[in-house]
Amino acid sequence: MATERDISGPVPSGLDIGLRSVSEERKVASENDPRLTDSSSRSAGGLVGDTMSYSLLMEGAKREIYLGGEGEESDGERYSEDSDDEDEDEDEEYSYASVPVSKLQPRKVLSKGRWIKEMGMAEIEVQKGPIWRTTGIVRFGKIYSSIEEVLFLAELGAFHLTDDTGVSISMEEMYMKFSDEKNGCSWEHFQAYKQLKALGYIVRRHGIPWSLKSGNSNSESISPQSSLEENKVVLKSEDNISIVGMFSRMHINEVRPIFDVYLPNSKFRKSSPGDPSFVLCFTRVYPPSKATLEVLERQCGGVPLKFCHVEQGRVSFFSFDKVELPVLP
Amino acid sequence: MGPRWKGKGSEAKALGDPMSKIVSQLQSSLSQSEAQGLLCGCSVLLGAKAQEADLLNRSCFGVTITTAEKDRQWFQLSMEEAFYLHYSLKCLKIVDEDRRLMNDEELLLYMKSKKETFPDFYKAYSHLRMKNWVVMSGVRYGVDFVAYRHHPALVHSEFAVLVLSSEEEGCGGANARLRTWSDIHCTTRLCSGVVKTLLVLNVSRNGHGDGAISLSRTEKYTIYEYTIKRWLPERCREDHGLVKSESSSCTIAEDGTK
Repeated sequence: MATERDISGPVPSGLDIGLRSVSEERKVASENDPRLTDSSSRSAGGLVGDTMSYSLLMEGAKREIYLGGEGEESDGERYSEDSDDEDEDEDEEYSYASVPVSKLQPRKVLSKGRWIKEMGMAEIEVQKGPIWRTTGIVRFGKIYSSIEEVLFLAELGAFHLTDDTGVSISMEEMYMKFSDEKNGCSWEHFQAYKQLKALGYIVRRHGIPWSLKSGNSNSESISPQSSLEENKVVLKSEDNISIVGMFSRMHINEVRPIFDVYLPNSKFRKSSPGDPSFVLCFTRVYPPSKATLEVLERQCGGVPLKFCHVEQGRVSFFSFDKVELPVLP
Repeated sequence: MGPRWKGKGSEAKALGDPMSKIVSQLQSSLSQSEAQGLLCGCSVLLGAKAQEADLLNRSCFGVTITTAEKDRQWFQLSMEEAFYLHYSLKCLKIVDEDRRLMNDEELLLYMKSKKETFPDFYKAYSHLRMKNWVVMSGVRYGVDFVAYRHHPALVHSEFAVLVLSSEEEGCGGANARLRTWSDIHCTTRLCSGVVKTLLVLNVSRNGHGDGAISLSRTEKYTIYEYTIKRWLPERCREDHGLVKSESSSCTIAEDGTK
């Protein structure tokens, strides 16, 4: 953000830019953000209010707040834009005295859905709030949500999930749906999903169309059932002869595109989503090798890639961009 | 991250004095004087007269050695620099301790014996130098090279460069960096702390890596160039953030550059 980058500039103008962009961002965020829809608690929310709501979401980890980090850059050596403020405010993250108590309140009006085991998705029965403009895929007039979408809302207390007999499914049971990645999403994938979603990004499973009506051609699969299978794009040996020599290493290090990510956009429509801003990829063990990068770039057809690394709940994103340095005079 | 010029007028100065011109002046000057460098461990020592010394300094080849000698300024060239002047620019002869001229292949073998990764490093070094970037040691930042748009007196280095050998070859000479996520975190974090972009030059030997090293083989190496950046979702929520990837208006000096 401007405030953190323009540290060499005059202070008042830097601040000014910072505040303006914050409020603009807030506007955009509120469109897609389930936490900002509750008008009673949010109407008086200035900057502090928003910061609070974000910190609530991120379990008190202030460092994750996109507004965070201002005024921490005073020690002179920290002059980069990428100073991620992680170990500097370590103290704030940990509380010796007690486990932080959740301040999230269950909503009065809940969205509701029914888990369809065979699909590995929830059929949405009650939609509340604008979040549904950017969540779930539309099939035959109904909205279906993947497990990460369901859990994201359920953790916020904004979603009630039942099984097909109408019995409600507990948090614990939802968490169990992530083990073994049996519903197409691992726990690590979910952590990345949650962080992006909390910041207002629009996220879907890679390659799965938002709706069948959309004339958008960047998606390959047709039905929700088959698409879940196809979601797993695995590098195949015949992809590239030159990589045969290191195939053993790649095999361990299976790389997969997992999510298509769109920038926060209040005008987003599932029927005309446009191209994603980037495809988020995960590796099994190691960072991607050059050969992997080359193969993936071909697979994703020009949409930029980012790679995600999750460790102990810390989600980091990296871009590995092919460049060509210019020839200088 | 765009170039960070050092103070007003630096950019204009650099534009008015392109690096390609300085290097070609150096090339003709060294050729005319039939300059000879002395191979000495992992360095090549070169005594230069005033005009050449000035050109060496302006084109950033070597580091100076302070001596009491008045008519010659001594320079210590790295192996990549010396080999570039010798083999690519053909303007520097190199002799061993018996004052015997070394030919291209002998030199390559010698340098590879001193540094297993030399052929890849040389490829990477010359790749950047041929595009008229100024390339210097990156050891201060824990990387292989740093690349400048012009003389370091005028501009901060833009790229921290790591030279990787394509793993598919599986043979020796691989620079074992960026193999783990922790090293990626470490390197990108350090680079962003000193306001540089991490540039990876991945050298592919294209099947010419096995067996005896030779210059004809190294000619066939190719380079895959990419940057690695930490992407912060908190700061890229708007379009320009993603496209332009955070331009920097920071002017605080990094320490240690000339």
